Amino acid sequence: MPTAAIDPPGITWLRVSPKYVTVRLVEWALGNLVMVAVLSLPLVFVRLGWWRWPPLWLAIGLPAFMLLLALWRLVLIPRQVRAIGYAEREDDLLIRGGIFFQRVMVVPYGRMQYVDISAGPVERGLGLCTLKLHTASAGTNAGIPGLPAAEGARLREQLSARGEARLAGL
Amino acid sequence: MSAGGLASGKPDGEWLRVHPATPFVRGWVALAAIGYFFGRDSFERMLQGQPLIDDRLAGRAPWLLGAGALMLVLAVLSFILSWYFTRYQVAEGYVRVNTGFLFKQQRQARLDRVQAIDIVQPLLARIFGLAELKFEVADAGESAVRLAYLRIGDARQLRATILARASGVRLDPAQPEAAAPEAPEQQVLQVPPSRLFGSLLLSEQTVFIVLGAAASVVLSALTENRAFFLYLIPAVLGFVAAYWSSFNKGYNFTAAISPDGIRLRYGLLDTQAQTLPPGRIQALKVAQPPLWRLFGWYRMQVNAAGYGAGANNGEAGSRTTLLPVGKWEDVLNMLALVLPDPGTADPVRVFQQGVNGLDSDGGFVTTPRRARLLAPLGWRRNAFAATDTALLMRSGRWWRQLVVVPHQRTQSIALQQGPLARRFGLADLVLHTTAGPVAPRVIQADLREAQGLFDAQAARARAARRRQTSEQWLAQVDQRPTPAPQQEGQQRG
Repeated sequence: MPTAAIDPPGITWLRVSPKYVTVRLVEWALGNLVMVAVLSLPLVFVRLGWWRWPPLWLAIGLPAFMLLLALWRLVLIPRQVRAIGYAEREDDLLIRGGIFFQRVMVVPYGRMQYVDISAGPVERGLGLCTLKLHTASAGTNAGIPGLPAAEGARLREQLSARGEARLAGL
Repeated sequence: MSAGGLASGKPDGEWLRVHPATPFVRGWVALAAIGYFFGRDSFERMLQGQPLIDDRLAGRAPWLLGAGALMLVLAVLSFILSWYFTRYQVAEGYVRVNTGFLFKQQRQARLDRVQAIDIVQPLLARIFGLAELKFEVADAGESAVRLAYLRIGDARQLRATILARASGVRLDPAQPEAAAPEAPEQQVLQVPPSRLFGSLLLSEQTVFIVLGAAASVVLSALTENRAFFLYLIPAVLGFVAAYWSSFNKGYNFTAAISPDGIRLRYGLLDTQAQTLPPGRIQALKVAQPPLWRLFGWYRMQVNAAGYGAGANNGEAGSRTTLLPVGKWEDVLNMLALVLPDPGTADPVRVFQQGVNGLDSDGGFVTTPRRARLLAPLGWRRNAFAATDTALLMRSGRWWRQLVVVPHQRTQSIALQQGPLARRFGLADLVLHTTAGPVAPRVIQADLREAQGLFDAQAARARAARRRQTSEQWLAQVDQRPTPAPQQEGQQRG
């Protein structure tokens, strides 16, 4: 399947830290393995003879299918992380992400209402943080995950300063 | 800021209370409920010719009466206290409201941040000549400031004062005590009740009801279950209520223009008067359900920062309606109000193509022909066009719609592409605006075109932001009470 990038040409993207893969792996493990384990429970019960339903093929098929999906997602993680990028232009910030479902977003500095920095336990352990931009629109779902903490702080200061200089009304 | 004074020349900055009748207008439901609760039993007994109070309870009657009276007194007292502790002030560019006696709340909102001002009159308040004033700022939640209830004259005066301060109009220095005059207004259009009625009969809702009724008749004939209709009674009641509420809300809809912005008035029993200052409309949609095409009717909805989302919520639904049903001339008139400078030489033709057109007439760029498998009906309709001041996005072959976003109102832009769209070399462009019924999106555009638009739109939004300097609309450049395309539209109409 062709996955040519859709972003406008001539932009040098800054990439997020490769360590962010670890964060995604932990999230993946928590989400998918737990789900596969839960979906495997009927299989165990059926094998033990506690349950008569579902039939064996379904009890095997469903968790196996979910496991395949989970593995597929696992394989994609490094590429997804590599696909995340951001670029500071003179008047706006560009953010891109996704491989199959690609998205490029432009957020003008003057439109930013506030900037969030957050870090979960895994991110904090790796010295990473997630930066989130908020505009007056709820549709602006602009986050840059996996930034090194220093880069995150620099970016936040930079964005605040530029936002103040170019502040526009609504 | 000079002292302008509120109603009846009171000095600036004085703390005022809302009207003393407020607690009763607000709390009549609670009072009625208490009265009903205690009165129903006695009333029924009276009708049946029995003694007023049950014999078994007769001994305890004083206690019951006492408890009832206590509840009543407590309710009335709490209403009165809440009235006593609610005070408001308009001064120094702020409106401030203090409420609460146990949990105090002080709230202030900047006047030049006003996004909209509404005057609402529920039926009971209308009988007493009272009104509620709602002051909206850009916040997705509830109204920033609600003043209930004021005398209708005071409410109008306060609205005029707030709008005058917010617009940055210069008060006459010779008479600083004079109250701000209400801005003159000029009526632009009115929706006759017959058209509103017709539009409701031909709405999507009606189509579903007719289909549902036909299905239930067939079902009951097939199953020979005569009692089947009984189950439909609640549904019918619901639909009647929905129609009534639409009719009640849309009745006597008038739009007028004043230097303070667009004034919308509507309502049969509960009336509402909205004021949307210039440049407060974030996005706009002109839509036409299939059946309305018979009569050439259109509906217009807007996103305004203060009104929030809640497209299904009745109140927000009616507040975000710019035109419940109107003919093409009405649409042009409203467009002229919202977009005084359409940014093209031939706005009527461009908008005509946007609402009803196909293919690339009027400068529209459609979905490429190679994607006709993906959108067999819509590919000639899905299109965008950019004027100097706004981006136009049209879509829908049967449910036609045109979305207009002024360049200076664009918040952020995203270019999106899924696997299927990539096969066809397409991309979607999403413009983010404040919450509301309008979701601007360029659907299935050619990838190159979309990329070009992405860059161009970012640049246009940047340039438009530079031009817009102040939130105070009269303090900005010139303001146009009678915009050009309006006249063109009337000539055409």
